[in-house]
Amino acid sequence: MQPSAEGTSMSQVEGFLKLPKLYDNIDGVTELCIGFMCLAWTLLAWLQMHTPEGAVWHRMYTLFIFVAVMCFITHFGSKAIKNRITYRRTGYVEYRRDKQWVPMAIAAAVAALVPVGLFVASRRHWHIATPVCLIGLGIAAFYIPYARMARWRWATFGAMVAAPLVIAALPAELVEAFANHVSVFSAIPATAVGAYWLTFGIDGALLMLSGGIGLWLYLRHTQAPAQEGR
Amino acid sequence: MNQQIRAIAELDRVIHEPGRLMIAALLFAVDRADFLYLQHETGMNKGTLSSHISRLEEARYVDVEKTYRGKVPRTLLRLTAAGRKAFEQYRRDLKQAL
Repeated sequence: MQPSAEGTSMSQVEGFLKLPKLYDNIDGVTELCIGFMCLAWTLLAWLQMHTPEGAVWHRMYTLFIFVAVMCFITHFGSKAIKNRITYRRTGYVEYRRDKQWVPMAIAAAVAALVPVGLFVASRRHWHIATPVCLIGLGIAAFYIPYARMARWRWATFGAMVAAPLVIAALPAELVEAFANHVSVFSAIPATAVGAYWLTFGIDGALLMLSGGIGLWLYLRHTQAPAQEGR
Repeated sequence: MNQQIRAIAELDRVIHEPGRLMIAALLFAVDRADFLYLQHETGMNKGTLSSHISRLEEARYVDVEKTYRGKVPRTLLRLTAAGRKAFEQYRRDLKQAL
């Protein structure tokens, strides 16, 4: 996106302002991190569903250790890729810290509202397909800015939209079987657990795949310059 | 119409140049970035980019810091407070002019 010789339109200026934000995922690392976290949660849920009540996977300290390990891997893993590959090939960017609280506040609000919504839905005996669809579509909506980066990413978006709709249409017995016919929390039935497990598992796998393709394409189309100039 | 023409005349010429506008906009959205990043996003060659940065530095809109990443030299650039103010003013003026 280059301004024309005749002049610059307002939309072009706004376009330049968006470039650094998109640069964060130029190597697919953001998608890989989110996908990894979704799959890690899926793994923990699977372990909880397939082990007896008193097993170590049901303990609170296990959850804290699991989250700490997950954060450690995503933080240092992404940092390693950025330092060793991205910054050497296409440059270094340090983002403004004064605006970093916005996504954190949104994530915290969503994390607080989802369990409350699930609890209310189960208490009022709402059909569980609706909240599953909403959360699945919410994750797909979150992906739209990434899909805009490249045309092929719209295929990932399409699959993310289709996944919750297909899950909602599956027979209840089959969805319950994915949850091993058990509930992780007493308020949420096995059908819901199975549906969320599938949603997060599929979305996590799709994000990992999309991030992996993004990283592969980045490595293919870029190379480190011999030495920085100026 | 007169007001529009006046608004165009009042645009900051240092920032209005397309190359420098790209640099200013990119740096406005971040805390700081290096020379390689600006080169990648703007598609300019080293010489052109360097001359635009020098012009912005002369106007005290950009802070240039030379560091090392291991043994490789790295040039970090940051928009100064005056640069941020000038860019915000430029956006307002451009909106008015258009």
